Amino acid sequence: MKYLKLNFTLNFDNFNIKINQDLKLNGITGIYGHSGSGKSTLLRIISGLEKNIQGEVNFYNKCLSNNSTNHFIRPENRQISLVFQDSRLFPHLSVYENLNFAASRCKNSQLKIDDVIHLTNLNELINKSVTQLSSGQKQRVALARAILSEPKLLLLDEPLSALDQKSKKTLLAAIIKIQNQLNLPILYVSHALDELQQICDDILVMSQGEIINYGSIHHVIHQLNQPIDTLSKTLSGEENHTHLSLQQTSLSLAIKTNDNGRNFAELSLGDEQCILLPKDRIPCGKVSDDILTNEGNKKTNTSLKQSQNLRCFILAQDISICLTEPLNSSIVNLLYGNITDIKQIGHTVLVSVVCEKQIFFVNISTYSQQKLSIIVNQKVYLQFKASAVRTYLY
Amino acid sequence: MQSSDYLALFTTLKMAGLTTVILLIIGTPLAWFLSKMTHKFKVVIEAVIALPLVLPPTVLGFYLLIAFSPQYLPGQLWQQVTGQQLAFSFSAIVIGSVLYSLPFVVQPLQKAFEQLGDSLLDAAASLGASRLDQFFSIVVPLTKSSFITAASLGFAHTVGEFGIILMIGGNIPGETRVLSIALFDHVEAFNYAQAHILAISLLIASMVLLSSIYLLNMPKKRR
Repeated sequence: MKYLKLNFTLNFDNFNIKINQDLKLNGITGIYGHSGSGKSTLLRIISGLEKNIQGEVNFYNKCLSNNSTNHFIRPENRQISLVFQDSRLFPHLSVYENLNFAASRCKNSQLKIDDVIHLTNLNELINKSVTQLSSGQKQRVALARAILSEPKLLLLDEPLSALDQKSKKTLLAAIIKIQNQLNLPILYVSHALDELQQICDDILVMSQGEIINYGSIHHVIHQLNQPIDTLSKTLSGEENHTHLSLQQTSLSLAIKTNDNGRNFAELSLGDEQCILLPKDRIPCGKVSDDILTNEGNKKTNTSLKQSQNLRCFILAQDISICLTEPLNSSIVNLLYGNITDIKQIGHTVLVSVVCEKQIFFVNISTYSQQKLSIIVNQKVYLQFKASAVRTYLY
Repeated sequence: MQSSDYLALFTTLKMAGLTTVILLIIGTPLAWFLSKMTHKFKVVIEAVIALPLVLPPTVLGFYLLIAFSPQYLPGQLWQQVTGQQLAFSFSAIVIGSVLYSLPFVVQPLQKAFEQLGDSLLDAAASLGASRLDQFFSIVVPLTKSSFITAASLGFAHTVGEFGIILMIGGNIPGETRVLSIALFDHVEAFNYAQAHILAISLLIASMVLLSSIYLLNMPKKRR
């Protein structure tokens, strides 16, 4: 396993960043936190654009920066590309010239510009001036340009934040496609948890310049549901982590069927239970159309299929609890599970229920808890609408 | 025009051309350094560079004349290296012109570099472009109009110099006698017809040059 080892501090006038963490470079790793938490600064440090750190950064067992030995590899020699929030395309160059800027400076290049143009769906834009492009198109060009520099690590700094929903969906699909086909490790900064939930394998959470959580995406999202007393106490002056996100259940479940004949797709939950969601939320044909091998050859692939996993999430506020099986209900999802935890958070209660080894988080009022008199280890039914099963941008 | 005026024209163009080249070579890194500098000492350097804008040319000319004389170190060093006296030479008026026109080159370039900022350079660096590569691939094309402005102002201002050249160069035909000095000579000799020819030529040349700068710097849509 290849690691990015970070152990440094960086002090500004009114903000300090202090990181000591080894990151697995595997798939897409999300960096999550509120504005001003140090996410973008972290990317700038890794890429070498912030030089004055106290400590060291190691990448693939190679020292990129170490102040004690005065060792510093300049950004242009790191083979780490950064895609900025505001694209930063060169305005005096056309789309093709922007792409060629990166390609022509890449030593021992393996990728062909035409293949990357196809991969990022830029065929119709290559002769245009970058000043004529929409925000979404600019970000696609920036992404293609970064890939053409053939980095060993790709850094994406909130690439979707300024885009409309349609452009977000297109670019997100392009990022997933690129990661799949080029097997390129990516660090992806965002303050949108649903965006990260959809594409990241691991996630690290930052607050006030420090990493407060790091792990697999589902595990960390579920930890974010918990109040501070069960989490890292490195945060000072914050009452609760839950302000970072809405409490939710993060899932990655195998697709049992794309269409069960009643306009629902079915996801397998263990051997016996399943979850229904509207069939148009299965992103068929949207994630990946072609596979580009490392040699640049293309072969056809049919995106998300049955037996492949779908990432989705259900907000804790969208699930309800029943003590008995509701037989006459319009709600299509009904699961049976066991309460493992009950936590009071403010005026609400967060109930953890395990169904087929999968934990679900349910948010109910204190009144409902008292009315149902639920206790740990009690068997209950969970109900939620098909529409409550969300995938990114739906 | 008289043949001595043609010689003065040639001397003027040679001086202005050489001065402009030297100004761009010196002024570009100086402007870049100032645009990136955050230390408080920056204002002192900026003030020194801007001095010729407010200082009477004769003041600068006087101190340069002293410095260039063989009694003082700069003049002595020059004489040791070249074997020739610096004061009242073509080299002296070029050095004087470079110092006198420096703000006209440094200031527009510094402003352009500051406006460009670091964002595109950061992007270029992360794509593998070295610093020199960034400068020639990104900075120069995007600040082209400022380079044209700086070079044109430097050239035009040098052509129009009088006081400082008279102080450190005198009036040696073919060496330090430039157009502005020749014009002064004609006026002193009451040769107004020749003076008119030189004056109107300088006026028209300056108008054409300035108009060309404004035309080049005009946004494309309005052209």
